[in-house]
Amino acid sequence: MKVENSDMSNRPDFIQLRNVSKRFASAAGRFDALKDIDFSISQGEHVAIVGKSGSGKSTLLNMLTGIDHPSRGTVTVNGTEVHTLNESRLATWRGQNIGIVFQFFQLIPTLTILENVLLAMDFVYAIPKHERKQRAMALLKQVGLDQHVNKLPTALSGGEQQRAALARALANDPPIVVADEPTGNLDSKTTEIIMNLFAQLVGAGKTVIIVTHEKNSGPVYDRIITLKDGMVIGDRRGDES
Amino acid sequence: MNTKFKKVIGDLRINPGRIILVIFALVIGLWGVGSILVSYTILSHDLNENFIRTNPLDAAITSKDFSRLDLAALRSRPEIEKAEFRDFSSLRIETHPDEWIPLWLFGVEDFANLNLARIFDQKGDGGPVTPADGAMLLERDGLKFSDLKAGSRARIRAGGRIVDVPVAGISFDSAQAPGTQDHLIYGYVNKKTYSEITGEAANQRLIIRFKNVESRQDVEIVADNLREYFKSLGIAVDAVKVPKFNSHPHQWQLNTLLFLEGSVGFLAFLMGAVLVSQLIAAILAKQIRQIGILKAIGASRSNIFQMYLVMVLAFGVVSGAIAIPLATMSGYAYAYFVANIINFEILTVSLPVHLYFYLIGAGLLLPILLSLPTILKGTRMSVRDALSDYGIRQQDTSSNRSDIINRLPIPGNLALAFRNTLRRKKRLAVTVVTMALGVAIFSTGFNVQQSLKDLLFDVNNSMKHDVQVVLINQIPKEQVEKYFSGIDNISRIETWNGGRGGMQSNIVSTDDGVGIIALPYNTDLVAFRSVEGRWLDGSTEPEIVMNQEAAALYDHPVVGGYQLLSIRGKQLKAKLVGIVDEFEKPKIYMDKDMYDGIANPNHYINSLMFVAKDKSFDKVMALKRDVEKAIAPSDLQILYVMMQAERVKIIYDHLYIVLVTIIFFAMLVLVVSAMGMASATSINIMERTREIGVLRAIGATPKMIYRLFVTEGMIVSVAGILLGLLLSWPLSIVAAKFFGNLMLDIALRPAFNHIGFAITLIATVVFGWLASRIPARGAIRVSTREALSYE
Repeated sequence: MKVENSDMSNRPDFIQLRNVSKRFASAAGRFDALKDIDFSISQGEHVAIVGKSGSGKSTLLNMLTGIDHPSRGTVTVNGTEVHTLNESRLATWRGQNIGIVFQFFQLIPTLTILENVLLAMDFVYAIPKHERKQRAMALLKQVGLDQHVNKLPTALSGGEQQRAALARALANDPPIVVADEPTGNLDSKTTEIIMNLFAQLVGAGKTVIIVTHEKNSGPVYDRIITLKDGMVIGDRRGDES
Repeated sequence: MNTKFKKVIGDLRINPGRIILVIFALVIGLWGVGSILVSYTILSHDLNENFIRTNPLDAAITSKDFSRLDLAALRSRPEIEKAEFRDFSSLRIETHPDEWIPLWLFGVEDFANLNLARIFDQKGDGGPVTPADGAMLLERDGLKFSDLKAGSRARIRAGGRIVDVPVAGISFDSAQAPGTQDHLIYGYVNKKTYSEITGEAANQRLIIRFKNVESRQDVEIVADNLREYFKSLGIAVDAVKVPKFNSHPHQWQLNTLLFLEGSVGFLAFLMGAVLVSQLIAAILAKQIRQIGILKAIGASRSNIFQMYLVMVLAFGVVSGAIAIPLATMSGYAYAYFVANIINFEILTVSLPVHLYFYLIGAGLLLPILLSLPTILKGTRMSVRDALSDYGIRQQDTSSNRSDIINRLPIPGNLALAFRNTLRRKKRLAVTVVTMALGVAIFSTGFNVQQSLKDLLFDVNNSMKHDVQVVLINQIPKEQVEKYFSGIDNISRIETWNGGRGGMQSNIVSTDDGVGIIALPYNTDLVAFRSVEGRWLDGSTEPEIVMNQEAAALYDHPVVGGYQLLSIRGKQLKAKLVGIVDEFEKPKIYMDKDMYDGIANPNHYINSLMFVAKDKSFDKVMALKRDVEKAIAPSDLQILYVMMQAERVKIIYDHLYIVLVTIIFFAMLVLVVSAMGMASATSINIMERTREIGVLRAIGATPKMIYRLFVTEGMIVSVAGILLGLLLSWPLSIVAAKFFGNLMLDIALRPAFNHIGFAITLIATVVFGWLASRIPARGAIRVSTREALSYE
């Protein structure tokens, strides 16, 4: 499903990365995972970050979500200088601004699907308490899981778990959704369902950033940023061949 | 319910075995520490309270001239709080047919109005029954080793007479040393009966409690002044006895037990703390990745902290609910056990409220405090680190260490186990030290027990006679020996003399003096272990040897120095030639001829040492009975007849409770340390679940993995055991010295208990093996798929 978008070039920068570098030290020596990354993403953009394994995709995602700090450079999201926040403030900020979808779903195995979604709301307090259950049910219905709300994650298929994870990511109504290889573990039919859900989110005004190695899904995205050896080697619109 | 807490409960359900282990460890720790707290609270209060409520005497003064004393005038003196006559005589009582033991008989003024040195009824609730004329009360501890009971007739040997005295009732005297330990019975009669039984006039012994005295020294000074007062009335004082001030005679036993309880409780607490913190760390180790996810979806550090705090608090609530009632019950049970042995009543019917607060506080706070570092570490972990936790940790392994292990001529699997063991150095150190401490204390327990057994062995070997008869009076040797000429199993009889004597020292004059034993210098019936100097050698110069207790009493006089002795009113300057090790009251030994020359011109004797031909226990027992039978028709006044084996038994009975307690507590420490070992191994395995999956995926069989983990566990165990055994020797030296001084005022000789060593070695290796095997078996139950998908 291709979601029609207006021209992004006129929109203000919603996410800005300026000269972001990340260096890791290990027993084998120092390793530059990101080198002088510099780009912006507008609100409502549907962006794919692609590259081979080890290219720095996940590290870049960690910079955007505040999961990790850059060694050098600045990350500004919706006016917040993310790289300056400490862990506690980052957690609150992340809960309010970013919904994260992981490759392996990462649902809490001891909680039902509904409780997994509620848990995210209980942490952030962005949604009034009396509205949380209703909202969680609505989100699960939106991803087609309203019949499974009281099931544990292990009772669901991979695709269903990923949809539940997506519902959880949306629990606090964040303006940005990021996903790390969200379809890496799914078959093609389930992949299509998940990708459609992301597209619907973009249609609803969310900024969606997906890390993927699937080069052939270009038309789905507004924009494709390609990484290689920690550097941006390509930044093109999704409909460009 | 809040989803955060639902998650906590859900997490607790995932691995019930591990949760049970944590709660079990907490229960064990709390139970142990709680029992000790409860029994400590009861015992430290109740023995003293039992003693104090008797309104104990400060001094006992004997004189044959008290008929001249106006008791009312004495009681009105400002320093006197209470004073009454309580006569005392040491007689003998038949406990079983032809078995006689000392009877300490007290003549009581008025059973209905006991204001001083009070005795109670058998249960310790109220005053005793008043025995009719001619009848007596027996102290309850005596029932434990005699056929006597209320209503029976006791046979009492007083001088040369045997008197039948009905037992009117059973009393309880909590101010006396337990009769079972000292092998004697206490009896109480009125004055009339006392005179009838003993043949002595009443009112010859005055017991007094002084006002405004706070120490034994105070009492001695006041008693000295009182002696002068009596002198001014023309009353000659025979003896002034000042017991320990406001202290039960067996307070030392309780002090030893309380010290043992306190120190072992502290150790068990420390080890339990290590164990619990390790187990909680193990549970949190499995949660690291989830912490990352929670943080990624918006959980703040305080959210995470609260969730795990609730989890730990739940452990505390459950374990506290189990352990506190158990601790109360076992604390009371132990207190009753001790009270039964030392013969006192448990008076604490309800524990102080603050104690429950401590226990509940410990139950709740303990797991929190112990897990706090781990929880804080988990909450501080960055999201990236938490999300990238896959179980296999890439340590900064030193190439030097790997080289050393590679060069060792050991199989590859063993080398791998060694390398794995060294991966977590801090945990390895904590585990090895915990295990070592358990092993060291367990082994030290056996060694201290051996030191005490060696003491008993020394006691047994230091006196070579088989039966000893001690007379109240001194009489000619021929007059005594004739009674025993018809007994078969006598090889020979050696006669000794002696009595109370004084030695000039810095102690105050009211002290009761010291026992002086006059024996042939070349006797082969004593073989004391020499502490310093030598034994008597028949020198023409007066010489003395004293035992350690006497040396301590006289402030450790210099061997080779001269001392001024006072014997039966005669003065003697004698050279101290040696100090010997003897578990006895303070005694000074000197040559009999030298003694006779000074104070015994008629060569009277008061002690007969029988050496049996057949030294088997039964034959010596029969000899003792024959001696008793021989004495029966005589007019000999016997203080006691005792087998050497009985003497050793009396000492053993004094030490029994300590011996049992040492081993029990040492066992407790070992079990806790072994559990710590098992939990550390368990954590290692849990953290490496994914690694197990990888090993299995590349071809390692479950058997290989099992062996690897058991080998790793055994490496840690063996390191702990070796270190523990090394530590145990210096610890044994210190413990022997410490416990000896605490219990017996002597430094016990450090000893090595071979059997204890073997038990320690076998028990700890088995414990170590089990501690490695159980979690290792758990490791191989996980399928390769499960292990690889470990999160």
